[in-house]
This record gives sequence, structure tokens and C-alpha cells, in this order.
Amino acid sequence: MTTIRRFSCNDLLRFTSVNLDHLTETFNMSFYMTYLARWPDYFHVAEAPGNRVMGYIMGKVEGQGESWHGQQLAKKLMNLLEDVSDKIDKAYFVDLFVRASNTPAIKMYEKLGYIIYRRVLRYYSGEEDGLDMRKALSRDVEKKSVIPLKRPITPDELEYD
Amino acid sequence: MYKLAGEERFLLWAVCSIQLQVLCDKSGEKLLLLAEGLLKKHIASHSMHEPEALMVYISLLEQQSKYNDALEVLSGNLGSLLVIEVDKLRIQGRLLARARDYAAAVDVYKKILELSPDDWECFLQYLGCLFEDDSMWKYFDDTDQIHPTKNIECKFSHLTEEMFDSRISSASELVQKLQRDTENSNLRGPHLAEIEIEKRKFLYGKKNDSELLKSLLQYFLKFGHLACYASDVEAFLQVLPPHKMAEFVGMLVENADSVSASATTVLGQTTTILKVQELTGNVFELPLGEIEASAVKLAKLYCQNLPLSKDLDPQESMFGEELLSLISNMLVQLYWRTRDFCYLAEAIMVLELGLSIRGHVWQYKILLLHIYSYIGALPLAFERYKALDVKNILTETVSHHILCQMLESPMWVDLNNLLQDYLKFMDDHLKESADLTFLAYRHRNYSKVIEFVLFKQRLQQSNQYEAARVEASLLQLKQNADSIEEEERVLENLKSGVQLVELSNEMGSRTLRFNEDMQTRPWWTPCPEKNYLLGSFEDFSYCPKENVNKDREENVKRSIQRKSLLPRMVYLSIQCSATALKESLETKGSGGDLKTCEELKSLLEEYTKTLGSSFSDAVEMITEISQGARTFETLGSDLVDWLNFAVFWNAWSLSSQEHWHVLNLLFERLILDRIKSMGSSQMNSCYSDVQVLVQIITEPLAWHSLVIQACTRSSLPSGKKKKKAQHSDHLPSSPMSQAIKDSIHSLCSTVQEVSNWLLNQINNPEDDQVERFLTTLKRNEGPGQVLGVLESFIASSEESEVGSRIFESLKTWSKADSARKTVTAQQRVLREFHQICGSKRKLLEKLKQQMSHV
Repeated sequence: MTTIRRFSCNDLLRFTSVNLDHLTETFNMSFYMTYLARWPDYFHVAEAPGNRVMGYIMGKVEGQGESWHGQQLAKKLMNLLEDVSDKIDKAYFVDLFVRASNTPAIKMYEKLGYIIYRRVLRYYSGEEDGLDMRKALSRDVEKKSVIPLKRPITPDELEYD
Repeated sequence: MYKLAGEERFLLWAVCSIQLQVLCDKSGEKLLLLAEGLLKKHIASHSMHEPEALMVYISLLEQQSKYNDALEVLSGNLGSLLVIEVDKLRIQGRLLARARDYAAAVDVYKKILELSPDDWECFLQYLGCLFEDDSMWKYFDDTDQIHPTKNIECKFSHLTEEMFDSRISSASELVQKLQRDTENSNLRGPHLAEIEIEKRKFLYGKKNDSELLKSLLQYFLKFGHLACYASDVEAFLQVLPPHKMAEFVGMLVENADSVSASATTVLGQTTTILKVQELTGNVFELPLGEIEASAVKLAKLYCQNLPLSKDLDPQESMFGEELLSLISNMLVQLYWRTRDFCYLAEAIMVLELGLSIRGHVWQYKILLLHIYSYIGALPLAFERYKALDVKNILTETVSHHILCQMLESPMWVDLNNLLQDYLKFMDDHLKESADLTFLAYRHRNYSKVIEFVLFKQRLQQSNQYEAARVEASLLQLKQNADSIEEEERVLENLKSGVQLVELSNEMGSRTLRFNEDMQTRPWWTPCPEKNYLLGSFEDFSYCPKENVNKDREENVKRSIQRKSLLPRMVYLSIQCSATALKESLETKGSGGDLKTCEELKSLLEEYTKTLGSSFSDAVEMITEISQGARTFETLGSDLVDWLNFAVFWNAWSLSSQEHWHVLNLLFERLILDRIKSMGSSQMNSCYSDVQVLVQIITEPLAWHSLVIQACTRSSLPSGKKKKKAQHSDHLPSSPMSQAIKDSIHSLCSTVQEVSNWLLNQINNPEDDQVERFLTTLKRNEGPGQVLGVLESFIASSEESEVGSRIFESLKTWSKADSARKTVTAQQRVLREFHQICGSKRKLLEKLKQQMSHV
């Protein structure tokens, strides 16, 4: 039984058990607060009974696309974000970045309909490569946004921050 | 700006400022009327264009309890600014409930549940409206709540039985409908709702405990194999009387499907039953033999199910991972109840094996760091803590796991890094917070403006932040206490402790926030100030975690108040001492500048207040303890604080030989008695005593040595007076100088005793200690059986069965390595403490030399 609601600052003090998992990065405060300040509708938390934080999702809108950071729970959160970007912002696609070594996450996103669009060399601190995964939305009828690139790119070649 | 440009955003800035002023000051509600008026006028002329502006308007009306006005706004044209239907319904439901239009609120919540049948918070709000119970809204307003209570109050006294029956029947109907509608999905909400309904009936007095247990059992049959079962039902278990909890556990055991179910289901259900036992406290009532048998059974289950995880990525959680945590919880309990160290050693081995198989399990790391802390293997505890990769905001919520132990340890370099990292994170964020707030405003997210400001306040008022600032200052003083000149430099940087005294004075009226997440702590240490293992099992009575934490707030405040006074008292003591000896030699006066002494006396009075005593009672207490008329157990856990008091009390009245004598006796009694009781015990069983000794020597003894340094420094001849002073060698020394000499002598021998004890421990060959550690684990009966099961499995496992990764981990794990690392870590703590004692002895010898000329 999951209540999905907007993430608030106090949730930063409540997401310990989610963030202690080594697959979850704990960013600096300005990272979270910038998302909250600019795109609060794309930052949601899922709560179980007893107000336990089970997961959260952070998203932002860039240009005409969307970048994502962030079971059944993952699917619900992703669906919510895809709905908001599809119906409200009329985005063409959703994309997210994931560490190249994070096989469980990559498999999960593939199950949710994401494909590996391109590799971004040395994207993460510690020089690890990132994979840019994408899912086309209803506006991209011809699915042009998800034709994989043939070669890897470097972070400075990314179109957006 | 608004008058010039007429833009909504400038008006909203003013409105947010007013809301914040009222929220922070808890006064000035009339200002809210002004804000409302401004917004109404703006809407009349310009309408409203931002959804966030509408949210602010509604919250403003809510703040004034004008719920019907807010509803009118929401249902009007402006309501169309909120595009997401469910969000709008949620606000509507809340406003109707707060306006006590419960019938309408129920309809709205029903609509939300039909759209989101799994929304638990919504279901509870629906029930609250159905029963016309407004208890849950106090949590909504209470921005202090980070970890709301799991047990929501339910008020029924206003309902007749007929009303209650009719309402509960409506709720049941809705729940049945939701269950039908979601039959093909795995949604748990509608099924948990059934239990909530039975719980409400039970609380009303319907004597339906069997139905409540039955509903819990039904939920177990559907979802008991999932990791979430225990936490889903936790709140319901708390309403059951103890004998019913035990009955329920029996029902679960009876109904657990061990025949036809898959391995993962059996594993899941077994884990769930154990977790339920832990939650209900039932596990503490079981006989030792049963707990031991249970632990062995779980170890076998863990081994049998390892092959299920054969093909999993090492970053994924493994099947049965929780079992090792449950096993180690049982082993720690067995240790506590029998005091047989073997169980604790076994717990370490079980968890280290678990980490060897998969190094990412944070739950194992937390359990280990607490066990290692308890037995004095602090460097290893710190290593496990660092492996959690605690950074940024997690330093606020997670560092409580290690901070307390580090503060009471001789590991000063690591402690300093820990404190500085945390303080830097907090200071940096508090500096940047204003810019981030402005960012929210620039992007017209006005609700976030208020949220960010309140959050900043929450961090600023953090009890841990206040405590860390004080402890960082104290650490500098401790590190430099062997040189009075260095200490004076530190004190100068600390403005002679004046600002910290101001902090102490304000503390009484300040709000302190408790942002730490205590949920992840092991059962035996629900908060940093409590460790059940230090007490006897016989005195224990089970208490849910959240109740334990309620009591700590007042104690934490007093502790911060008390410690904030220390730097100033150290400074004043040095000032008092600086002239005291010289004056006593020349004029036989009492010495010490009057103003300084008066201030020190005033701080001593404040200090004793925080210990719950008056100044005169405190003096009586320490005098009686020094004479043996009272035992030092009277001082409880504040022993070090009382010694600090005694040191500064002596510094305030240096001419009194009697006071010096009392202090000497206190140090002797408290330290030597402790050494005697430790005897030749191993660190494993007496680290808490070592911790107290570390604190005594690095704090009160250190402050006292500064007092002596200040006295002797003032007695030293300088420049032209040197020749004259040489003649004074023949003059008889004053009573005070004799008292100082006696004190130095007493401290020297006391510190020597500590050093001797430490040396005995350190000189114990490490190989012998490792061998002893491993020998405790080699038993045929009693302790050691769990490890025996795991070791047999390791010996007989095959790569084809468990996969190459797990096979490799099993084969490379070494019990001897774990034992050696533990012993090495303990030795390191002893060596660091020995070094500190060595520095103190060196200083005392030097002071002895200097005083011999007086």
C-alpha cells in the first residue's frame, strides 16, 4: 500500500534506509534542493504504512526531453513521471543515466521499456562510464529519439547539463 | 516591486514572508489577514496564474482555519490551476475533514481510493472521516514530526455503538469492493485495510481479538513471504496484549507452508515469523535452548537457500540475507542472558561471513560496528562505519551510530575528522540555503520557499549539530591539555569559552531538533545513550523503540548545556590558579582574582543544576564519596561530569587543602576501584570500564593537570628574580604548595596504575589472544553451534551448487582472520590510550620537578 506524494525537504531526513543501499548515491544538498526548487512536480516519494519511505524519484525537464535520476514500486514511480512528462509537458522521450556497472538497474529499466541509447565515458565521479537509457513517449511517433548511437560520447558532448 | 510592476511573484514573496513570520514566531496571526487581503485584492484585479500561488493561498486560509473559504477557492475558477485530479481531491478531502464536513470528506476519499486503491494514507484519512475523528490532523500541522508515531490514536467516545457499527460496516463494504476491483493485482492496501478495520473494532471494545488475529493470519497467508509483512503489521501488533502476541506467533508457525510452497516462500515466511517475534518482544520470553535451536535452524536454512542466489549480480540483495541479521540478534541476546562471550564472537563471525559473501549489506555493517564498539575493537567499528559511505545529509541522520563511541575513545584523529566532516557539511548547507530558497522563488515554487526556510531552521536547531560544535572545541582542549601554553592558544581561538557559555544559557529556552534516524539501530541500543548489554537481563522489560527515544530529549539538552560551560571553566580555572600559588607563598592569602572566582562559582552553580543538584549538595556528595561514605554508583552515568565539577570546585577554592585532598581521593577511588574490578579481564568484557577511564584521564584529570600547570608556572622564577628565588629554596613551602605536590604525587601513581594495567593487556601476545578468541568458538554443546553449521556447509559446498562468486567468497573467508582483526583493533585502542597516559605521566613528572623548587 503505497502513498505516492511530492517529496519534501523533511524526506531527506527519512530516506536513510533507501540511501544506505550502495546502489543509491547520496548527493550534496544543493543537488536535491535544486530539483525541489525547480521541478517539485517531478520529485515524488513512495511511502508504506507507518510512513516508511520506500523509494523516491527525481526528474527534470530539459528542452523537449526529460532526464531522470532515480518491483512494482520502481514501475509505479516511473509511470507517474512518464505520465506527467507525456501529458503535461508533451515530451518526446524520457531519458536517464545509470552507472555502466549497475546491472540490476539496467535490467530493471529495460523491463520498463528503456533502451541503451549511448554510453557516456567517465560520466560518474571515479571515472565510471554512464549509460544514457531512453524511452520514447507518445509524441515521438516514429521512435526517432531512441535509435541508439553507434559510438560512445564524452560528458562535454552532452546536449544538456 | 509589486506596486510598480503588478506581478504576482512580488506579491507572493510578501505573502510567503508573512506566513514564515507567523510560523516561526508562533504569533502575529493578524498578519495572515493582511496577507489574505492582499491576495484577494490581487485576484480581483489580475486573477491568479500560478498553481503554486493557489497552493499558497489555500495554505494561508488553512493556517487561519478558514477551511470553507479554502474549499470555495478550490472549487471555483482558480481550482483549474491544479491539473492533477488526485492532488486536487486530496486537498479537498483534507479541507472538508478539517471543516468537519465528514460526510462530504468520506465521499471524496472514496473517490481517491477508487483511483488509487493502494493509497494507505488516504485510507486512514477516509476512516478518520468516517469515525469523525480529527486526531490524525494534529500530525499534519506538526512540522516537528520527522518520524511520526506508527500508532495513530483513534477516538471513538463520541460515537454510539449503533453509529460505530454502521460506519464500520460501510468501511468493510468499501474494502470488499476494493479487494474485488484489485483481485488480479498484488496490491496489499485493500487487504491491510481489513486488519485496520478489525483493529478499530478491537479498540472500540468489541472483544474481537480472534477476528483480529485471523485477519493478521489471512494477510500472512497472502503476503507473509514478502519482506514487507512484519513492518506492514507492526502497528497492529502493538495493540495486542502480550499473551495474544504469543498466540499469534504460534498461529503463524502452525500455518506456515513448509510442504507445498517454493523455497523462496518458505524462506520468506520463516524470516517473517522471526521478525514478528522480534517486533513483539516475544523473542525475549523464549527459553535459551529454544533461541539457540532457532538460531541453528536459521543457519541451516540460510545455507540450504544460498544456491537460490547463485546467478544474482553481486549488487543485488540475496535470498535469505536477512537471516544472518536475525541469527546475530539472537546470538547477542544469548550473550546478554548468559554473559558467555562465545555467543558474541559467533555473532561477529556470522556477520563477517555474510559480508564476505556480499560486501554491500549495510545491515550487517551496522550490527558489526555496534558489536565491535561494545568489545572495544573501535578501529574495526569505525572501518565498518566508513564502509557505509555516510556523506552529506546522511551525516546528520546516520553518524549517531559511531559518534558517541568515538567521543569516549582515545581515537582523536578519526574523531576529529568525523566531527569536522559533519560540521563542514552543516555549515556549508546553512550558508547556501538562502540561495536555494531564492532559486525556488525565482522558479515560482512558493510552497518550497517556506519549506526550505523551515528546513534550514530544523538543521540549525539540530541537537547533534549543537553537540558537535561543543565537542569539537572540547576535543581541541583535550588534545592540548599537556601544554598550558598550547591550551591558552586554543582558548584564545575559542574566545575564552564565552560564546559557548551564551549557548549554554540559551539552551534552556531553545528548541532542539532530533533529526537522527534511530530506526536502523540494533535492538540492544535503541538510542546512543542506552545499551541494554551494559545492564542485566533480569532488569529489562521490552519497550518499543519509539518510546525509548522520547525520554532522551531533556537529557541531551542538559548534557549540551553542561559541556558548553567546560571551556570557560577551564579558562577561569587557569586564571584563578595563575596567581593563587604565588600569593599563597608571599602573603598566605587565598589567591585568585575575585571577579574570576565569582564567575567560576556562578558557572559551577549552573553546572550542578544541570546535574539535578544544588552547589552545596554537590559538594556534600563528592566529599562523602571521597570518604567512602557513599559509593560512586550514586553518580550513575554522570560520573565524569561529577569529577569535572570536583576539579573546578577545587580550582575555585585553591587555598583549601581539604579540597585538594577530596579531589585526590576521588581520582584514586574512582580509577583504582575500576582497575581492581577489571582485574585481568579481557577487553571483551570490560571495555565499558576502559571507556570510563579514558574519559576520566582525558577530561577531569587533564583539566586538573592544567590547574596544577598554571599554579606551578606562576611559582617559577623569571628573569632577574631568578637569583632571589634560589634563596627562597630554603623558605618553608606554603600549605597550598604542599597540597599541589601531594596532588601531583597522587595523580602520578594513579596514572601509573592505569598504565600498568594497559601494559599488561598490550604485552599479552596477539597470537595468544587470537587463539583464546578462537578457542571460545570450539564447543560441542552450547555456543558455537551456529558457526559449526556454517563451517560444515563451507567445507562441503560445491561451486556448481552455489555459483563461482559465492563459492570463492566461502572458501576465502577465514575465521582466524576475523579473530585477528578484532584482537588487533582492540590492541590499537589500548595502545593509543597507553600513549595518552604516557604523556600525562611525563607532564606530571615535569611538574613534580618544578614543584620541588617551591
